[in-house]
Amino acid sequence: MAENEKKHDPEKEKRKIQAVSRMKEIMTDYYIEAKGAREKGRKVAWITSGGPVEPLIAMDVIPVYPENHGAMIGASKMGAQLCEQAEEMGYSRDLCSYARADIGDAVAKTGPIGGLPEPDMLVCCNNICGTVLKWYETAARFFNVPLFILDTPFIHREFTDSARKYVLAQIYEYISFLETHCGRKMDYERMEEVGRLSVEATQLWQSVLDTCAHKPAPMTAFDAFFHLALIVTLRGTQVTVDYYRQLLDELNDRIDRGIAMVPNEKYRLLWDNLPVWYRTRWLSDKFAGHDAALVADTYTSAWSGMLPEMNGQSFLEAMSETYTKVYINISIDRMFDIVAGMIQKYDVDGMVMHSNRSCKPYSLGQYDLRQMIMDRLGVPTLIIEADMVDERNFSESQIDTRIDAFMETLKS
Amino acid sequence: MNPLDRFKSVWNDPNDYARKRKQQTGRKILGYFCSYAPEELIHAAGLWPFRLLGTKGEIRMADTHLQSYCCSLVRGGLEAALNGSLDFLDGAVFPHTCDSIQRLSDIWRLNAGFAHHFDAVLPVRLDTPSARQYMIDVLNEFRQELADAFGTEISDDAVWQAIGDYNRIREKLSTLYELRSRAPGLFDPSTVHRIMTAAMVMERREFSEQITAFLEGVEPDAAGRSDTGRKRVVLSGGICTHPDIYELLARAGADVVWDDLCTGARYFEGRIAEDGTDPLAALADRYMERTVCPAKHQDITVRGRALVDMVRHQQAGGVIFLLLKFCDPHAFDYPYLKKFLDEAGIPSLLLEIEEQPPPEGQLMTRFETFVDMLA
Amino acid sequence: MITAGIDIGSITAKAALIEDNRLLGTRLQFTGYNAQKAGKSVLEELIAQSGVQREQIALVVSTGYGRNSVDFADKAITEITCHGAGAHFIDPETRFVIDVGGQDSKVIKIDAAGKVLDFAMNDKCAAGTGRFLEVMARAMEADLDDFGEISARADNPASISSICTVFAESEVISLISKGETRENMIAGIHESVASRISAMARRVGVTDPVMMTGGVARNPGVVRALEKKLGVEIRVSAHAQLNGAIGAALLAARMQQAV
Repeated sequence: MAENEKKHDPEKEKRKIQAVSRMKEIMTDYYIEAKGAREKGRKVAWITSGGPVEPLIAMDVIPVYPENHGAMIGASKMGAQLCEQAEEMGYSRDLCSYARADIGDAVAKTGPIGGLPEPDMLVCCNNICGTVLKWYETAARFFNVPLFILDTPFIHREFTDSARKYVLAQIYEYISFLETHCGRKMDYERMEEVGRLSVEATQLWQSVLDTCAHKPAPMTAFDAFFHLALIVTLRGTQVTVDYYRQLLDELNDRIDRGIAMVPNEKYRLLWDNLPVWYRTRWLSDKFAGHDAALVADTYTSAWSGMLPEMNGQSFLEAMSETYTKVYINISIDRMFDIVAGMIQKYDVDGMVMHSNRSCKPYSLGQYDLRQMIMDRLGVPTLIIEADMVDERNFSESQIDTRIDAFMETLKS
Repeated sequence: MNPLDRFKSVWNDPNDYARKRKQQTGRKILGYFCSYAPEELIHAAGLWPFRLLGTKGEIRMADTHLQSYCCSLVRGGLEAALNGSLDFLDGAVFPHTCDSIQRLSDIWRLNAGFAHHFDAVLPVRLDTPSARQYMIDVLNEFRQELADAFGTEISDDAVWQAIGDYNRIREKLSTLYELRSRAPGLFDPSTVHRIMTAAMVMERREFSEQITAFLEGVEPDAAGRSDTGRKRVVLSGGICTHPDIYELLARAGADVVWDDLCTGARYFEGRIAEDGTDPLAALADRYMERTVCPAKHQDITVRGRALVDMVRHQQAGGVIFLLLKFCDPHAFDYPYLKKFLDEAGIPSLLLEIEEQPPPEGQLMTRFETFVDMLA
Repeated sequence: MITAGIDIGSITAKAALIEDNRLLGTRLQFTGYNAQKAGKSVLEELIAQSGVQREQIALVVSTGYGRNSVDFADKAITEITCHGAGAHFIDPETRFVIDVGGQDSKVIKIDAAGKVLDFAMNDKCAAGTGRFLEVMARAMEADLDDFGEISARADNPASISSICTVFAESEVISLISKGETRENMIAGIHESVASRISAMARRVGVTDPVMMTGGVARNPGVVRALEKKLGVEIRVSAHAQLNGAIGAALLAARMQQAV
């Protein structure tokens, strides 16, 4: 969540994205609805950020995202405190800070929204990491609720036919899991309609990110981190489609009126990995101070990368491939191809990689990826060591110096 | 050289052993990192599977490719590949273990420069018919890739033969564990550990002969050596590459009588049925039924129950967790395993290990205190 | 019957004499580089100062990281077991001991007889030990002995979030350059130590009443911060640094009686 407020500076006011307030409204309504689900007799499912949410929406189950909650905890600077809580329960401090913070908050309920609504069921897709598998097993034991795992085999080279068969079989297992625990049948027409809305929202999200190909960029990755929340949590709903249409219109209007997010945009950078949630504002100011705009990132674009190739398939069939091929479920060389495409599309001068202690599948391999980008594309790349939620792993003076030095080399 | 000396010398320098033995036998060697690597298929292809266990030396070259928050098994394994100490390998297979080994596969393929590289992306969940079918499919694909890469054919008969060989080896290892449990004083504290390492790296035909000879030479309970007067403990965790731990524990007053390590009991646990029609289905079934590695998914309390049962069955007084630092799957399971033990009134001790175990002084303080605590 | 306990720590060597469950005398001196020599001399000095004869001492138990260097000891027992026994002797109500020394910190849960039920120790990282405080005192060019008193005057303890001692040192230096007060910085440092120790304590499960021992127990700033974090009152041992040696002497007496 970006921190867009504070101080009245007319220049800054002009650059503020208006849609932000609508987004906050939607997210507030969504959490109020989720928190009140039980009284209204609706089911709540916890689901991983890369998991197939569409069947939940089609079954009228409210999806809740512990990872989104983890990001909120980080942005509220409550990460260290809640992580400590989990560490006291015996969870190693080397484990993912989303998982630690959420586990801590499930017990302490002292986080930004006083604890997530408790789940009736858990849906875990391991296309983003093996950590979610362990985290959801922990939650399943803690809440004593059913757990469904969608196992999406990692793609080192190609998406094999056997993997396709396996994932598709699981999609149907997933639907019977939902039918069992909701006590009713899936309405496949509704499912296709939700799928259609999901595809539309995903296309709109891609268009939103694409506006940054314009020079100067009407927004930066720091804004994308904020506006991402809906495509993660509520894709497949009309409200999401409407919201991204509104945001896209506003960004196009900014382009027409020449409003840039970074006033004197001179350098265009590509961000890799999850945000440093508790320092988004500091980092944003830091780069803007160097006239540098983060015009794209591999993280928020991972959700637009989930656009299925329909080829006449039903949404459910297309889903098995889409969900398996997400950005961090592929090999380093395939990641390089995607990064190279982004560097070209957004005309990037340099890359900033967040080596994130919490996220091994995203971070291990960055050193090789960096070397490939520098050797093959000649794009300077900086690595900063931090963590997405646990601020105890952030050294301001060290990162400050690294960014300054990197910008000096870009400028020279 | 008697079998025990042979095992010790292999343990001492597995790479040197592999290099020399390869020269003698001409057998090609395929490295692997995980107990889910389908060794039987490698063996059936006429190759020799060689378990990679990190490095005993300093980690330098791997730091160019891997961050410090990656476990020492992965960093050490890459180090060994890059610094030439694994020059006898013809390649490696990665069965998709965890987030770190998954990335190691990429980095290895892009940098290590071995002739062959295989990814056998096995399922993570091991509790459904569709996962079993997918596992059989992946095993079939791996069989084909192996055959293509090495210009051989791997017939069903060859796989059945390999399954038989492996069943025999696993039975021997199981006997070894049973012997130690019944009479811990029969062996030096780290002997079984060294033999287990040898089992995973030696050319299997030779190992099979040597372990048979070794077991024949054991005189059960000669002169009452079985009773060491020490307490009985069980180890729990992933890998253990530190024989010192067994020696120090003995000095502190405890014998390790069993474990659930993937370089220990999990390596030989589970017999493969030899009376089926599809050998790959038989292989898959062992993986589906064996107690899981925490990187895989099965029943969510199966590891906890299995651990408590093991302690009771072995009449052990407590459990020592050996957790490799930065090993996420094991670290996630630790709190719940500890809770299961607490509820069963079984004391436990947590030890975080890296490429080097904790300093001996600190380790002894913990071990001695823990042994004092045991009933 | 008289028994002796000798505790060889990383910085100081301690000795205690017990006669019929009564503390006869104690002594503390620097360990220096030779643990064996330190063990010998600390006991000799103690014997001289208490006016007992060496032959009167029935049994000697050594403890601490240098326990195996004390070659004349009848038995070596870990400081964890000894701290449990020592804390029980000093205050029999004690059910939980927090011992923070120069390079180790430990938490020990004990039963009504002072026997260890569970324990945890810091890993090889220096955070949450006396060493961490020393490094910070150096970064601040302050005297460690004044830390407790200075931190009592803090109005808003600074947040030192880094776990790593090296990172924390650079954080302290950058706080100095930002003009943060010494009081708040030192209070922040104490909270940082306390949060590491309290996490370890909670992993074992704190049982009231809690006693604190070890050199760092003499720093009231850390004690206050720990009380706040754990939400319990902490009783500082009257013999904070000697607790291990006293426990060793007691265990020696118990062994002698058992014979």
